[in-house]
Parts: sequence; C-alpha cells; structure tokens
Amino acid sequence: MYNVYLTLRSVTPGQKASVALRRVGLRHQLLRAPRAIAPGGCAYALALREGDLNRALRLLEQSNVTVQGIYLHLTDGSFERVEP
Amino acid sequence: MIYLDNAATTLMKPPQVAEAMLDALRSCANPGRSGHAAARKAGETVYRTREAAASFFGLEPEQVCFTSNATEGLNIALRSLVQRGDRVVISGLEHNAVTRTLAGLGAEPTVVTAPLFDREGWLSAFEKVLSSQTRAVVCLHVSNVFGCVLPIQEIGALCAEREIPFVVDASQSAGLLPVRPSLWNAAFVAMPGHKGLLGPQGTGLLLCRQTAQPLRFGGTGSHSADQAMPEELPERIEAGTLNVPGIAGLGAGIRFLAQQSQDALQKNESRLLQRAVQGLERLAFPVFTGPGQVGVLSFRVPGMDCEQGAEAFARRGIALRAGLHCAPLAHRTGGTLSEGTIRLSLSSLSRPADVEGFLRAALELRRRQS
Repeated sequence: MYNVYLTLRSVTPGQKASVALRRVGLRHQLLRAPRAIAPGGCAYALALREGDLNRALRLLEQSNVTVQGIYLHLTDGSFERVEP
Repeated sequence: MIYLDNAATTLMKPPQVAEAMLDALRSCANPGRSGHAAARKAGETVYRTREAAASFFGLEPEQVCFTSNATEGLNIALRSLVQRGDRVVISGLEHNAVTRTLAGLGAEPTVVTAPLFDREGWLSAFEKVLSSQTRAVVCLHVSNVFGCVLPIQEIGALCAEREIPFVVDASQSAGLLPVRPSLWNAAFVAMPGHKGLLGPQGTGLLLCRQTAQPLRFGGTGSHSADQAMPEELPERIEAGTLNVPGIAGLGAGIRFLAQQSQDALQKNESRLLQRAVQGLERLAFPVFTGPGQVGVLSFRVPGMDCEQGAEAFARRGIALRAGLHCAPLAHRTGGTLSEGTIRLSLSSLSRPADVEGFLRAALELRRRQS
C-alpha cells in the first residue's frame, strides 16, 4: 500500500524520477497529484511505501530531481505534509 | 526516384519510425495532462524520446526541448538572448532562420566571412570581431549550401573565454557528426528532427544549457493556477499539446542512430560525397568542394540556370534542390548569390547506387548538351 506522496512540478521530472526508481526496482506509481497536495494547480506525484521514502529521496537527489513536497496519505483520506 | 535532397528533409527513414508514429497515433492521448492509461503512455513515449536525445547529445532529459523544426528552436534561442540594437556576431553562412529572426528582433549582426573550407580562417575571423559589446554569437555547424564544417568547438571556447552566449545551428550535422553542446560551451543548440535524426517533419529539438524565454504561452499541464509560464525547462517553452506521434517517430530515429556505428555512417557518407565530387569533376561540372566537407555538395551544370539544371535531373528521376536554399547570406559568402547552385545532399542511409545513378544522369545530361 503506497502511503507517501512526493510531489513533482510536472510530468518531465515525474518521468525522470520514475525511471530512476524503476532502475533499482523500487516500487512506486507515477500519477497526477491529488488536488489537496497540488495547491498551484496541476502537478504529478510519486506514490510509494513509507519504508522506501529515504531511499527514494536519495535516488532522486542523485538524479537531480527536485521534490516539491512530501505528504503522508492518512487513513481518513487526508494528507499531512512532512519534512524529509 | 533517387533521393539526394536530404538537407531539405530525409525521405528514407528506418521502418521503426513510421511504426512508432502509428503506435502513438493509435494509443497515445495528451501527455502530462491526465492520469489515465493513454495519457500515461503518451507521457512515457515523450519522455523516452527526451531521454534518447539527452543520451545521444550528452545532456540531461530536461535540457531537451521539443520544437516543430530548427527554425522554431533558433527563434526561441535568439529571442531568449537578443534585444533590439544588440550586436550579434554570425557566420556568413547562416540560414534565413537566423538572419530573418535577427532582423525581426532589430539586432545588429556582424557577419564573419572566410574562405569556405578554411577552418583556421573562420576561427581567426571570429576571434577578430568578438568584443565586450557582443551580445551573442550564432554559428552553424555545417553549411546547408556548401557542406563546409565550421570549427564549432574552438569558436565556443572563444565565446566561453569572453562569457558570450553561443548559439549553434546543427541543422545539417545532427545525426551525421557528433553534436556536443557541453563540449562546445553552447547556450543553445537547435536542430530539426526530420533531417539527419531521421524523424518525421514537424519535429525539432532545442538543446538548452541555460533557461529560455517562451515563444508560445499556454497550458503545460503544470502549475495551472499560475498565469506565468513555469520557470523550469522543458515546460517553459513547450506550451500546448505536443506532437506526440512526431516525437515518437523522432525517438525511433534517434534510437536507430544510437545503435549504429557513428564512425561507419560518417565514412559511408564521406565516401559517397567524394565519389560524387570526382564524378562531376570528370564531367567538367563546376563543384564547390574542399577539405572536411560533410553531406552537402553544391554544383552547377555548365550553361544552364540552376533551376533548369535541377529540373533536368528531376526528369531523370534524381531529386536535388536548386536556388538559394533559404541562405542568401551563404551564397553571398560563396560568391554564388546571383546564379545560385544545385545542391546534392546525402543522409546516413544513402547508398552507393544513389550516387552512381546520379552520375549516370549527369553523364547523360552532359552528352545531350554536347
């Protein structure tokens, strides 16, 4: 169950991030960011497991992908912004 | 038909180009706009081409921006750097895509000239005119009229020393010669997708090593609540729906090239060009040739207007291009402005039989004349 969302500004960094994670077999899903975590309008998000968060952040940093925000998807459906 | 008009566009493409386009046409929706499978596939298709181009040119994927042709890329690059009254140094071989854009911007171009195939001469001519007043340098890699290769890396080094932004038009070289924006210290490199890269018409690339100003404004599928264009490339200059089938075809063309030996492709093209030069010289056709020539050969049919000469070849099934080739400045530099030339141009897929067929037609034409 994916419960962490990393927001990315558009589809290009989204694809770049997805390729970087796929390359090492880190499971994730690239999707349109839910409205609640995309205050500026349209954006993309990588959904992944909380246990993979730190590894994913390291990989994205190595790939020069800027993560705009990190959100926990709570059981009530809401999102909580967290610091890395 | 023997097609030798590859500097206008390559007609023969690897079959996977059309296959990729058809697949995209059938299965790709709008990339970066929606979350459904067809939109995701479009996004992946576009990104695969971006990634292939980035790898081919030694850049990061986000530095690869899609345009509809090299002209659009040059417009974006020049409008990002140049304002009315700015002094811009250009080679005397530039295409109208550069000269008309600079005229439209109200820039003041300084035109550098040298003997066509004299690399040292070009370098020294550029060095003489660069100054603290120079806002940008624009230079093509290979002339679309004469096939001479300019010393891009060395000109780029001169620009870097003086902190002058450098714009390269790689329209005739991309896919035929190594194109290395980082090595050249180029701010921007523009190219079509439909020539040496073997993609379809309506595609082009602008390789960006600095930020660019948008030529078009509109939807990007990102930051939609903000009325300013996004700051980041590539979205900043890619407003509106992308040409996904075209980009898919371009990706197939680039991947095809990446799988070939670039050295073997260059050697084949060079052998064919030399064979065409020798054959025409033997028939006493005036040719414009010199050391290091790549892909393009200008010549004349003695006693014939260039358009009539090209027409005579066309009647014999040979596709060439005559006239000024949208580059009157290059013809002025080469001394061919008043009469123009006939241009033969090769691609990496040209075959010896193409050149032999062309030379048979040239011989027949010569015999008919005498």
